[in-house]
Amino acid sequence: MRLSTSSPRPDSNSIHCSKDRQWPRHLAVAASCALLLCLWQLGAVLVDARIILPGPGTVLASLVGLISAPPFSLNVGMTVARALESFLIIVVSGTLLGLLAGFFPVFQAAMSPLLTVLKATPVMSVILLAFIWFSSGTVPIFSAFLMGFPIMFIQIAQSVAGMDPALEQMCRIYGFSPSLRLRHYVLPSLLPALVTGARLTLSMVWKVVVAAEVLTVPRHGIGSRLQMAQVNLETSDVLAWTLVAVLLTALGDLFFDVLLVTGRRLALFRARRTVPSRRGE
Amino acid sequence: MRITHLTKSYYSADAGACVPVFHDFSLSIPVQSIMVITGPSGCGKTTLLHLVAGLTAPDSGSIVREPSETGAVSYLFQEPRLLPWRNVFTNVELPLRTSMPDKGERDAKVLRFLSLVGLSGYEAYLPSELSGGMRQRVAIARAFAYPSKLILLDEPFQSLDVKLRHELLQAFLSLWGEERRTTLYVTHDIPEAVLAADHVCRLDGPPATVADQFPIPIPRMNRVPGSPALSQFEARLYDGLTRPGMAQGAQGSST
Repeated sequence: MRLSTSSPRPDSNSIHCSKDRQWPRHLAVAASCALLLCLWQLGAVLVDARIILPGPGTVLASLVGLISAPPFSLNVGMTVARALESFLIIVVSGTLLGLLAGFFPVFQAAMSPLLTVLKATPVMSVILLAFIWFSSGTVPIFSAFLMGFPIMFIQIAQSVAGMDPALEQMCRIYGFSPSLRLRHYVLPSLLPALVTGARLTLSMVWKVVVAAEVLTVPRHGIGSRLQMAQVNLETSDVLAWTLVAVLLTALGDLFFDVLLVTGRRLALFRARRTVPSRRGE
Repeated sequence: MRITHLTKSYYSADAGACVPVFHDFSLSIPVQSIMVITGPSGCGKTTLLHLVAGLTAPDSGSIVREPSETGAVSYLFQEPRLLPWRNVFTNVELPLRTSMPDKGERDAKVLRFLSLVGLSGYEAYLPSELSGGMRQRVAIARAFAYPSKLILLDEPFQSLDVKLRHELLQAFLSLWGEERRTTLYVTHDIPEAVLAADHVCRLDGPPATVADQFPIPIPRMNRVPGSPALSQFEARLYDGLTRPGMAQGAQGSST
């Protein structure tokens, strides 16, 4: 038996290679940010009215002002708490029901009318209705749940339905026990959908929570502050709070980026490690 | 192994009715030998393997294995079918988990079979880091390391080039020679068929019928591709597989 001539050492350079080709993209992103800021500044100078469009510098000053004022962390904290609560409920319930729907087509069929309604209902209708039913602190959580749930559910259900039947057959032929099948076939098959679903859900949840806060004005929350600033015509505060919301969303995205990269590294590390060492290097 | 009076139909949406793939089909496969199954596409070769493997149940009839053949089945598919998120070693090792609880023993067996297919040093690679031929070798190592009593091959080398195909066939045959297990080997490739087979069975159909069946009484080590001794068998298969009107005309010679 002829051994292949290429190096038998796993090559770890592939990651670096793809990274090298990324720097023009980063440059483009930075240039685009700079352009947007310039346009904003230009617009502010041309309009020349703080109430209509304050410049980036003014907004930054407002932001610093907001951050240094005492209820800032409470406002942000309440919004984050609502978003995370909703997010966690969605991830757990969406995953469980999505699994059921993926494995049992009848359940999928039973869920489909509800999903169709949820996907088509305008966010504002949900929020207004929820405000009739619940107190202002609960409305953001409930509305975000209704809006985010279908995303998670559909991701999981589709990924179950899309699991490779060829691998399933292989597991059956080679006598995989239920636990082996779960750990080495089912869970790894579903992991990408779980991460994608959670990521999409989180960005949806931020938007709905802030929107619901704007409409229902609970005592603390980013949305409540947005609403107050708008009523008082403090446009630079509106923009500053918006900036806070954008940064929170970006932070969530960053978290998932880091999760993906570490996950990939961990998988590779694990693959390299799970080989008995008795055969020398 | 004896297949007797096997009947199996599938519902076909095109025909709007049940189409018989096997109707009263019988075939016996000598113990510890390689039976090559060949025939036109769609004549039921893969279905036959699925029936033998127990992946589908027959409508009627029986598949009876000899006592030495009862137990697990190894299956080499057209594609390697490796778990993409597990490395080469784990892919071969996982099927052994249940039958070999001792880790040291199991690890040694996996390493031995990986080295037999020429993959020593590649244990830590993920399937995506290997070439197609190497992936199929992992699948061969998995099939042989698995303590099965029966090996089924479904055109496992068809997507590879001639050289790789030959190498992998030799790897397969040398592993098979170490421990002879009854083997059903489906292939379209005539040279491959006559190199590997103890017996050749040419099917026709559907429904599947045995159109031709003959032994190749040359020791495997003496078989040279293209040699006159083998070419008579190649010619016989070639004639059978290319004769026009074959798909309809061979009902009489069944069983």
